[in-house]
Amino acid sequence: MIVVRQKKLEDIQAEIAPYKRVLLVGCNTCAAVALAGGENETSRMASTLRLRNAREGGDKEYSFTVLQRQCEPEFLEELDHSEADVILSLGCGAGVALLSEIIAKPIMPALDTLFIGAARGYGSWRAECSACGNCVLDQTGGVCPVTRCAKGIMNGPCGGVDNGKCEVDPNQECAWVTIYDRMEDLGRSEDAEKIIEPRDFSRRITCRAWGLPEGGSK
Amino acid sequence: MLTLREAFAAGEFVRTAEVGPPKGTDCEEMLEAAQMLRDKVHTLNVTDNQAAVMRLCTLAACVKLKQAGIDPVLQVTCRDRNRLAVQSDLLGAASFGITNVLALTGDHVMAGDHPEARPVFDLESVQLLQVIGKLNAGTDLAGNELHGAPDFFPGAVVTPEADPLEPQMRKFEKKVRAGAKYFQTQAVYDPESFKRFMERARRHDVKVLAGILLLKSAGMAKFLNRSIPGITVPQRLIDDLASSDKAGERGVELAAEFIREIRDHCDGVHIMAIGAEHRVPQVLDAAGL
Amino acid sequence: MGVTQHGRGAESLLGELLAPCRAACPVHVDVPRYVQALAEGRFSDALGIVIERNPLPAVCGRVCLRPCEDGCRRCQLDEPLAIAQLKRAASDHGVYPTLEAAPKRLERVAVVGAGPAGLTAAYDLARLGYGVTLFESKPEAGGMLRYGIPAYRLPAEAIAEDVRFIAAQGVDIVCGKTLGVDLDLEQLRADYDAVVVAAGLQASRPLPIPGNDLPEIATALPYLATCRDGQPPALGERVIVIGGGNVAIDVARSARRAGAREVTMVCLESRDEMPASAHEIHDAEEEGVKFVPARGMKAVVGTDHVEGLETVRCVSVFDADRRFAPTYDESDRQVIEGDAVIFAVGQGADVASLGLETTPRGLLVVDPATLATPTEGVYAAGDVTCGPTKVIDAIAAGHRVAASIHATLTGDDRLLEMLDEDFEKLGPIPEAVAVRLETRRRVQCERLEVYEAVETFDEVEEGYTKYEAAREAQRCLACTTGAQLDRDKCASCLTCSRVCPYGVPVFQPGGYPYFNADACRACGACAAECPAGAIRLGGWNEDEVAEKVAAGLRRPEKDKTIGFVCGYTHDLPSLLGKDAEIITVSCLLRISDRIVLGAFESGAKKVVFSGCTEESCRFPHAMPLVAERVCRVRALLEEAGMADDFVVSGESEDADDANGTADSADDSVGTKPVKEGAR
Repeated sequence: MIVVRQKKLEDIQAEIAPYKRVLLVGCNTCAAVALAGGENETSRMASTLRLRNAREGGDKEYSFTVLQRQCEPEFLEELDHSEADVILSLGCGAGVALLSEIIAKPIMPALDTLFIGAARGYGSWRAECSACGNCVLDQTGGVCPVTRCAKGIMNGPCGGVDNGKCEVDPNQECAWVTIYDRMEDLGRSEDAEKIIEPRDFSRRITCRAWGLPEGGSK
Repeated sequence: MLTLREAFAAGEFVRTAEVGPPKGTDCEEMLEAAQMLRDKVHTLNVTDNQAAVMRLCTLAACVKLKQAGIDPVLQVTCRDRNRLAVQSDLLGAASFGITNVLALTGDHVMAGDHPEARPVFDLESVQLLQVIGKLNAGTDLAGNELHGAPDFFPGAVVTPEADPLEPQMRKFEKKVRAGAKYFQTQAVYDPESFKRFMERARRHDVKVLAGILLLKSAGMAKFLNRSIPGITVPQRLIDDLASSDKAGERGVELAAEFIREIRDHCDGVHIMAIGAEHRVPQVLDAAGL
Repeated sequence: MGVTQHGRGAESLLGELLAPCRAACPVHVDVPRYVQALAEGRFSDALGIVIERNPLPAVCGRVCLRPCEDGCRRCQLDEPLAIAQLKRAASDHGVYPTLEAAPKRLERVAVVGAGPAGLTAAYDLARLGYGVTLFESKPEAGGMLRYGIPAYRLPAEAIAEDVRFIAAQGVDIVCGKTLGVDLDLEQLRADYDAVVVAAGLQASRPLPIPGNDLPEIATALPYLATCRDGQPPALGERVIVIGGGNVAIDVARSARRAGAREVTMVCLESRDEMPASAHEIHDAEEEGVKFVPARGMKAVVGTDHVEGLETVRCVSVFDADRRFAPTYDESDRQVIEGDAVIFAVGQGADVASLGLETTPRGLLVVDPATLATPTEGVYAAGDVTCGPTKVIDAIAAGHRVAASIHATLTGDDRLLEMLDEDFEKLGPIPEAVAVRLETRRRVQCERLEVYEAVETFDEVEEGYTKYEAAREAQRCLACTTGAQLDRDKCASCLTCSRVCPYGVPVFQPGGYPYFNADACRACGACAAECPAGAIRLGGWNEDEVAEKVAAGLRRPEKDKTIGFVCGYTHDLPSLLGKDAEIITVSCLLRISDRIVLGAFESGAKKVVFSGCTEESCRFPHAMPLVAERVCRVRALLEEAGMADDFVVSGESEDADDANGTADSADDSVGTKPVKEGAR
């Protein structure tokens, strides 16, 4: 799922500074699951903004609502923004984008969209996929080298492996160490020895839109 | 002095060292260092934005060395160039008669002085060796014929003291299959583990130069451990240096001792002493080379 | 059946899941809800909840035979909750609600007999808007409560409290009027739209054995009545009480108090078969009453005065068909010596002269569903229709007859139907959950010492202090008041299942969780952490809490500090000061980020969390979750420069000073177990 994270409140405040009536809009799909944009979090942010506003003697007005999903036009139609000067979206980038297209008001992002990831437990996610459009997980035992290797290389590891950890982020396991281990566990060591050819990065450009029934990318 | 390729072919114990380009346009120091070393070593590596610190480009530096009559090794990383630029630069180097190439993936930008840069990594070292192979064979990566093909002598890097070692060996083998003819290793400090590595490396028809990183002081060793990826100086050496009055000379002695010990197990040494190039001859002398 | 409680309509139980305590109660008092209110120190709320279904809380809190406690799921762990005692605590410490009067109807109903059945019927009918006159033959209302049950179990003032409340609903209580003497049934039928005969069982008869006319013979009801009047007859030093039920025990213990040195209860039944309840038998024994079970009464011995009771061994009381057919072993004779004999062998109805149809046993004939007698417009309820029953059964009958009359007079039989609705009962605690629950013995309330108790007719049990009541209430597992899902809002994020240590949310195909009520402990973690706000607790209303916070901040004498205090903590931290508005909760897990931020938004200058220590907290996951929540909220408050205004006790040095702040008048629970008076 799309993992999102709230921006720093001071950055959000800078975004909405020129406007008086702010409508916070949460999203009940990925953002809620990521504990960043659900009703609970949206309400909390509204409260915090109000408290800060009161403290600073400001005259801003904050209200909030939640949409089931901000990337669906039908759900956006239900949004009543008549009393808002600016909409602060607690959805992912796609949500902000669609809101911006449909509503002729400034839409500000309250979240940063981080990655496509999986949950590791309560309140914890790891990036697993970069939506590169060209999946090679069949060759790497399910470990994505684009996402989990800091350099995104296709034949690793690089020289910077330190005790099985990545030189760039010592908290991360070296993806390529993981890949080799995984392929060995699967009895696929021979496949792991194959040289993976340079990637086709053109997919990034050609795969910008996709739809039924034509299907497929060009 | 024989070229690198010739020296390997003749079975000589090959000696190589490095020089680093300046952060700027003034190449005087680099050229002085190169001159000082030219007769002591078979060839000199020119680093490519080493440790992701931006410097004068390796291609220009290699050309200057070539023009001064010194045969360089062009280090090519994949961090800053996509496949077009890589091929362009390689052809450009070849057009000046540069033939020795060291194919590297490259340190991540986060390690250097422009950490916000976008890292490229369109290719990595294995694919880069493949590209070099294709260029040598007269086509570019897309299969187009070249109007004048280079004749590169490609090499790569390996980390004998990596932990875990197995993935490194897989990569090593991929590089061999991709066309690497010689390897310069990352800094090695443990003779036994180096010998074990060499047992495996000897299964392949490639030349291996042991990487010797000259230590100047305990402080330097600690700094390397902290900041330079891929290098881990063992504590016993740090302690040794710390307890010595003349750490610089002690460093030379330690390097020489190591070389003598592994000499029969490899095809040469690659001495890394950036900023202390004057010590390289001392090491070589002390090692009896 | 709550008849317009607090302005809300009566609540149907159809299809509801009831906690076993509530299911066992004949009137289905919402036990979990009122016990939860007590756990949070909200005595008046608790009392109001009891009154929704039972208008005699002070009475039942003392004398109910408490079938609810047998159902309590804590029986699986240690001891059932002292539900009756808690009910009494609610009536002792809470304020009876002021209910909005219902719109007046034209019809008028006469209720005869101000016992529990009559009082309840009168109350319900008045709450429905009928004009109700409650006639009572004795000088005061209460019936068997007032003139049968001894004062040491049920003081007159306790009855009066409930009666005052019932009267305040518009019931006109007229004492000193006896049906068949001062009141004529036909006249009542003419003057009122319906008549309820709830006269109870007034006839107390001796056994037909020789000697039952000697001077020192008494029967139970008159004897008990004289005790209630404070004028028990002097019956000598050794009193024999015949009978094995609770009435006999009442007589025996009263006789002890009236001066008898030796009181012996003799009954047909064996010890195990005695119908008296176990704790009554126990209390009687403690007070020196001796038991001689399994004896048949042959004759009272004595010429001019009672000298003893001749008995034979009773071999069996019931025959194979469970009919009353005692058999004796005449060869085993024993004379029990005594100076007086009191017969407590059962009561009978005294309604033969009313002209209503009676059963062979002399009880009034009624339709069991509607409680209507064959005589039009005349209904009957309570013991007079079915023989001696429990007080709570009489109350249930009172509800039924009121609903029935309402159905007849208006055609609206919803209330009557609701009495017979099907509901589901919660199952036992699953083993996997039970092993994680710690056992805690029941809080014992203060009682008079035995040697003090037998000297007077003063109430033996003192009732819980506020603190004791809260502690006992906190043993409640909060059955059925736990997590409920609003599917429309659920985002299937799995957070609830990740924070719950009891495995309550079980995710189904389709992605929504099913909440297993058997295992839920209503801790509040999932509800507070749910990002979609899709979970609420059955027994907890965030809006009400927010309103309380706002109300507290509006009070001028308070200092704008809101303290959320876990009811389990002993001591209120000194950083709460005596002008803080204290809101006691059964666990801090229930106080979500929103409530805290909302408090600040409503104008709080300081919010304090006072929670459990590791030793006292009954949930394994509460402390880490609450700690995380505190960090999170503080980080948000930091943005408003207010992080220091959110304080958690245990963090500052003086946090754990026991600084008795809460002897205040309202519902705060109080600190250490300092004995307070019952009021």
